[in-house]
Amino acid sequence: MLHFIARRLLVLLATMLAVSFVVFAALELNIEDVATHVLGQFATADQRHLWLAENGYFDPFLYRYLRWLAHFATGDWGRSIHFKEEVTTLIPYYLENTAILAGIALAVMTPLALLLGVLAGMREGSTLDRVISFFAIATTSIPQFASAVFLSGIFVFWLHLLPGASPMTSGFAWRELVMPVAVLVLAGTGYLARMTRASMVEVMSSAYVRTARMKGASFPRVVLRHALRNAMVTPVTVVMLYIPWLLANVVVVEVFFAYRGFGTLLYTASLQHDVFLIEGCTMVAVVVVVSTQLLSDLAYVWLNPRVTFDTPSEKTAGAAA
Amino acid sequence: MKTFGALLRSPSALFGLAVAAISLATALFAPILAPHDPLRTIAPLALPGSVAPDGSHLWLGADFLGRDILSRLIFGTRTVLLWSSLATAASFSVGVSMGLLAGYFGGKLDTALSFIANTLLAFPVTVLYIIIITSFGASGANIVIAVTFASAPGVFRIMRAIALDIRNRDFVAAAITQGESALAIMAREILPNAATPLLADLCLRLGYTAITVGVLGFLGLGLPPPTPDWGGMVAEGKNMAIAFPHLVIFPCIAISLLMLAMSLLSDSLQQIAKGGSRA
Amino acid sequence: MKAEGAAPLLRVRDLSVTLPQGADRRFAVEEASFELSGGEIMCVVGESGSGKSVLSSAIMGAAPTGLKVASGSILFRGEDIVRMGEAKLRKLRGNQIAMVFQEPMAALNPAVKVGEQIEEVFTLHSRLAPRERRERVKALLSDTRLPDPDRIAQSYSHQLSGGQCQRVVIAMALAMSPALLIADEPTSALDVTTQAQVLKLMRELRDEHGHAVLFITHDFGVVAEVADRVAVMQAGRIVEIGDKRTVLDAPRHPYTQKLIASVPRAEPRPASALKPDAEPSLVISHLAKSYRVGGQSVTALKDASLALDKGRTLGIVGESGSGKSTLARVAIRLTPADRGAVRVGGVDLAKLGGKALARARRKIQMIFQDPYGSLNPRHSVGAILTRAGRLGGKPGAEARESAIELLRLVGLKPEAFARKPHEFSGGQRQRIGIARALAMNPEVVFADECVSALDVSVQAQVLRLIADLQARLDLTLVFITHDLRVAAQVSDYIAVMRQGEIVEFGGAEEVLKRPRHPYTRELIAAAPGRNWTPPVLETPE
Repeated sequence: MLHFIARRLLVLLATMLAVSFVVFAALELNIEDVATHVLGQFATADQRHLWLAENGYFDPFLYRYLRWLAHFATGDWGRSIHFKEEVTTLIPYYLENTAILAGIALAVMTPLALLLGVLAGMREGSTLDRVISFFAIATTSIPQFASAVFLSGIFVFWLHLLPGASPMTSGFAWRELVMPVAVLVLAGTGYLARMTRASMVEVMSSAYVRTARMKGASFPRVVLRHALRNAMVTPVTVVMLYIPWLLANVVVVEVFFAYRGFGTLLYTASLQHDVFLIEGCTMVAVVVVVSTQLLSDLAYVWLNPRVTFDTPSEKTAGAAA
Repeated sequence: MKTFGALLRSPSALFGLAVAAISLATALFAPILAPHDPLRTIAPLALPGSVAPDGSHLWLGADFLGRDILSRLIFGTRTVLLWSSLATAASFSVGVSMGLLAGYFGGKLDTALSFIANTLLAFPVTVLYIIIITSFGASGANIVIAVTFASAPGVFRIMRAIALDIRNRDFVAAAITQGESALAIMAREILPNAATPLLADLCLRLGYTAITVGVLGFLGLGLPPPTPDWGGMVAEGKNMAIAFPHLVIFPCIAISLLMLAMSLLSDSLQQIAKGGSRA
Repeated sequence: MKAEGAAPLLRVRDLSVTLPQGADRRFAVEEASFELSGGEIMCVVGESGSGKSVLSSAIMGAAPTGLKVASGSILFRGEDIVRMGEAKLRKLRGNQIAMVFQEPMAALNPAVKVGEQIEEVFTLHSRLAPRERRERVKALLSDTRLPDPDRIAQSYSHQLSGGQCQRVVIAMALAMSPALLIADEPTSALDVTTQAQVLKLMRELRDEHGHAVLFITHDFGVVAEVADRVAVMQAGRIVEIGDKRTVLDAPRHPYTQKLIASVPRAEPRPASALKPDAEPSLVISHLAKSYRVGGQSVTALKDASLALDKGRTLGIVGESGSGKSTLARVAIRLTPADRGAVRVGGVDLAKLGGKALARARRKIQMIFQDPYGSLNPRHSVGAILTRAGRLGGKPGAEARESAIELLRLVGLKPEAFARKPHEFSGGQRQRIGIARALAMNPEVVFADECVSALDVSVQAQVLRLIADLQARLDLTLVFITHDLRVAAQVSDYIAVMRQGEIVEFGGAEEVLKRPRHPYTRELIAAAPGRNWTPPVLETPE
């Protein structure tokens, strides 16, 4: 177990290093661009040259990368040009707002999707299955900026039930969270529900479910005691992978509803060419993604008694037989 | 061909095929179908159904610059189909070829290629788009590059998994014992058997790339104005949507419909692939 | 044995089960009638698609989805299962009628300890206190001769072997002392020695409990081993039913006669002397292979040495995991060997690489086990055979002609050329696989369990074809099988493998009649129906 985690952590670290290199190369390989972005379009060539010299930008690229990495590792992430604040003080505030939004979306979405998936998958081909499956496809097909428009049209402009923007200028407001959460839930539930359904269908047609039925167990008992636990393995590991999905998808939703979260921050940073802020945001996002992948792997192993930590691959097992 | 026949028997696949065909025709014949020049100012913020000064109809109204929304929608089909097919084709070329190599040869090559794919997958997609577009600027070519970086790892994973599976089938073993070359085995034995699942993924990815083109347009990272672009239309009309919902509602419907069609098509193809392997 | 009075326990009358529309026939089971009394073991034999499994599900009141009981009755203790409601059926299942399945590992829930799964039967059908239930579970596990019942009860299915899992499933089935046990191919997925133990156990438990057993199988050896009575099914109909001895030794129905005539005879050929002067066609020396599994090295093959003269057949026998398939895969260079040499016609394949290897591969070909997985579904049969011919060195037009010739040689019509593999039956596909191997004009052919996925009558035809081709083309054949009867029928020499080692190697008659190694003796003793010699029949063929 420890060996497994250690190996995964090592891979995680290697991925982080590769990512940091890619990010640094993309944003700071061209030093003239960096100077322009930091000093603004109206700075003269001499000013830019001076700034570059002062900040060690004429050092070799690899050396600059290592220095940047060292700074990064020690918590010196630079200063945001647009917000005129330390990146390390900016990110936590916005990230927390996003965590609230994404957390609530996940809390609503997960039980809903699992329930729909189980209901659809327990009797493959039933009317209920077909209806749920169609809605799952339809809802995942609507891009979020479109569903934001549709839902706003109904609940904000037509029914006047909810506010159309969520800037939370006068403190935290539950009412302002409803629309962004709804858009995320609408977009995300379908995929998880279909995943759960597929897993449930497979389990319901398995030999051990047949055994349970031939033991004289009733249908509800078969579903609840024999099918559910096995059918949940895949969806639960997928739930973890929804965290990166949410992180990517909050951008559109936050921008649409003017919610001051991580997505808006990154978006603003990109519009303003705020190099250091983009670097900081990206690295944070990647840490979140990679650690949820690790958690997902661990959950899979923990939920699935058949998997050992040093499972031989199918190939070698098959060849040895 | 058998796959195509099976598609024609499923109503949802038929719907998908129909929408895809109509979109394609719209894109091809845009100059004939569009009643107006998509860039010409006619009557600012005209409501749907109103009549332009020259007596022509503005069926879906006009935007804040007075351009006919229907015409922009029709020309926007071109934009979205062109760039999303180019981007999807690029992702597939890279993903399929790398996935085949990694899955068939395994070993160090697989480890290296998988590591690259996983590194790219560690970026939330929107973040990847933002980095690439801000570093290299907003243009059609950069959209293709950005989508390839974001999407090819997914294709790679699918192709690699299929190649890993098929590599262990007996017909591949038979080909090896016949002295068939690695390239011939990949092309003749593995790739044809991956066709249906790849096609299913292709449809879905084409839809998602269309959405991506839309999202990038919506975020102002897409094709520079005044190119007619569905996402861009939503972005431009968003702030006036309270008073003039027609500015945003039609492009939203268009892109949702296209994506729905591609999803249904992909779903039907997956069903066929599943049924085929069972038989 | 319990006395059930005059009335039989189970009385099936004119039972018909319809197949969904579009199937190749109307009924899965057609007007089946039979009776079964307490304490009796009745075997239902038939080939795949004969409807024997559908019959067993119908008796459980659970015909597979899409299939419906159209007419007839299934009277169990006088009550008709066909007309029984779901609630009543549930009370019956696991309680008075219980079932044992083909795949023991898959039949157990992977996420629940096996003890709890047995306990559930008591929860469903009794009012025993939890403590009593657990005691009964332990008693059942030791009844099925499982060692250390406490540990087994606390295990998950993946921690047990196939044989242990099947004992757990049997324990679960017997929990409520049912009057009828339905066993659907309960030993087909097990190794020969495990199969022998489970068959013995099932007989002993029947003697102890006196329940009736309906035993579904395709294997006449198994029938000879366990049955009291036998019913033979063909295309949904019971064509012959009677006492075991009568059906096995003096079958009356032509179909039964054909099936029994197809059972390979365990009569090895007399030994033929090795040709001392000629270089053997195939020489395998000190071949070894190990795999790394989770940081540990597992030896799949250690120091295997063999030699085989041209035109002769070597049978390699062993249970799963014995290394017989590894030997084949290493010999044909699908996987590289760690050590050793494979000489075919004087050339060491294990030493070759690159282009030289690709050219030399022609000499040694393989016929694969799974007729469904060994042909690329995307290519037509003609394309497959033509390609093989071209890789074997023939120019295009010639390769095409020889492909058509090969189809004729393996008994297929020329029309097969344009068809895709999915249009053929298992036996026909195996013929195509044979044709493909021959298209390369090989010197040595490995056949890895190439008839084990086939029905017994088809198996007989394919074996006859191989023997015929071998004689005609003077092929050297290595025949890998788990079935001693098949090995006895085809081989000149036999090698017995266990745990990656060849434990015995010699002339077929010598090895089978006078085995020296204890493992060979064990294997021979475990072969089902070894005391039954199929009668020599005048077959209609």
